[in-house]
Amino acid sequence: MQADAAGWLSWLESAALAVWVRESSLLYPAIETAHILGFVVLVGAAMMFDLRLLGFARTLPVTEAARHLLRWSRLSLLLVAPTGFMLFMTQATEMWANPVFQVKLLLIALAGFNALVFHLRSYRRVEAWNQQTATPAGAKLAAVFSLALWTSVITCGRFLAYY
Amino acid sequence: MQRRTLHITQKWTVAIIVIGIAFVGTALAHHGWSEYDANKTMNLTGVIREYGYDNPHGVVRLQAEGEGGKTWLVVLAPPARMDRRGLAREMLKAGTTATVVGYPHRKNGDEMRAERIRIADKIVELR
Repeated sequence: MQADAAGWLSWLESAALAVWVRESSLLYPAIETAHILGFVVLVGAAMMFDLRLLGFARTLPVTEAARHLLRWSRLSLLLVAPTGFMLFMTQATEMWANPVFQVKLLLIALAGFNALVFHLRSYRRVEAWNQQTATPAGAKLAAVFSLALWTSVITCGRFLAYY
Repeated sequence: MQRRTLHITQKWTVAIIVIGIAFVGTALAHHGWSEYDANKTMNLTGVIREYGYDNPHGVVRLQAEGEGGKTWLVVLAPPARMDRRGLAREMLKAGTTATVVGYPHRKNGDEMRAERIRIADKIVELR
């Protein structure tokens, strides 16, 4: 199992795409820039929605906020995920073994799970608290988790360079 | 003007965000060089055994002069910066003699980060 992972990681690292990105002066920082731009939209939109759940901008219907913001959050994954994977490829073995990277992946999974639970539970009854009323405790909790998780994901990402 | 006053949940949200940003700010005050001990300046001359002109940082394996000299992993700078400052990929080829000034890693005993490198008569600042 361990040997399989090592083989897979070094294969990834020596793939033509990984070598190209690693050795190119400008491509690597360009991909980093695209990754940042992507998560600015992903996390920014998610956080704005979280703030709505926590009681800011109560005149704004939650369903309208969701329709606009969460669509952009989801779309931005098309930019964030491939660029993140390309950056990972260039140092796959080192990254995979890095505890900060492991924590980051775990936190991203938790953030996804949190969003899923929110949509399957609180959001199902959104018409009851769509506008000008208090958000139910479950939705507020989801918003607090989301804010904390995404902040931690970004912290881990930045820490990768210094750990 | 009920809308002017912050709801209790909003107050808590603002407080948590402020604390969060303060924490992240402190965390980011660390930077890449903090892993290396700047109080122990090293001056190392040796022969390049291997090199990587790679992102995010270029590296060389530099074997110190003398019989059975220790081989150090010397962390340089991003390729774009090295290229711009005139440290071309070709200059780092195996067999080349180089002198680096830098600092040892606090934990990894054979790793150092170079402040500058000298190859032949060319000195390149890496920070």
